[in-house]
Amino acid sequence: MSSHAAEPGQGRALAIVERAYRGAVETQFSDALYCAYLFHIHLGGLDLLLRGPAVTYAVRGATPALRLGGQDLHTVNDPRVNLAVLLDSGVGVWVEEPDLPAHGLSPAALLPDVRTVPAGEITARWSAYRSVFYL
Amino acid sequence: MTRILPHTDVLITLMGAPHESDLLTSALRLTQALLDRGASVQVWACGYATMLTQRALGDGKPRNLAAWSTEYPSTSLVVRRMLDAHPGRLHWFACRFCSDDRGAVDHIPQVPVRAPAKYAEHVAAAAKTFHLGVM
Repeated sequence: MSSHAAEPGQGRALAIVERAYRGAVETQFSDALYCAYLFHIHLGGLDLLLRGPAVTYAVRGATPALRLGGQDLHTVNDPRVNLAVLLDSGVGVWVEEPDLPAHGLSPAALLPDVRTVPAGEITARWSAYRSVFYL
Repeated sequence: MTRILPHTDVLITLMGAPHESDLLTSALRLTQALLDRGASVQVWACGYATMLTQRALGDGKPRNLAAWSTEYPSTSLVVRRMLDAHPGRLHWFACRFCSDDRGAVDHIPQVPVRAPAKYAEHVAAAAKTFHLGVM
């Protein structure tokens, strides 16, 4: 059962992800969203803002299969799976709305429970967060 | 000792660093696709790409706290699997300067280290050279 904060802020920490796709084969599970879960647990609650190319993390789709050296590599990271873990654990996941059409996407393409915000709106709420960092 | 360089259809010069983008995954996909079509390939790993085949990486990545029993192959193992699956048609070299410059001096035995002054010989030994990424 997920329990998402209705509003961003409220004393939580804010993690901003705007650099996307920092490695698949070499990274596998230990990507920014994996760390976001740990920060959520250790910092007492987290909101996650996706900006730039990272908004595509929250778009429905499938990770292409990867077969190298005659063996399937099933263990590369899938941001959609990681976002589902975050949402289920109560992380608020937000997407800056203008960055969707910038990548040819609309809010209708987003995963369930991911919400959009106008550009700058989360920035205006930074004071409501106990910490803000780029991830 | 004089090394007899393999003549290959393609030389991939891998300049881009891992954990920065999906370049490494793309490079491995490209390499595999070439091999699947019967081509021969040599990879020259430069810059931080020399970290990929370090013996200290072992066969697997550190444990995933969220999936303790899942095995995640190291890049070193992925490269070794590809080399083993395509004997005589895939070769992987590491630049000595870049390796020394990063302390990446202990490659798996399947990856010979080559002086940068020898790079031109590799270009000459390949019908086509691709440069992927920048240092």
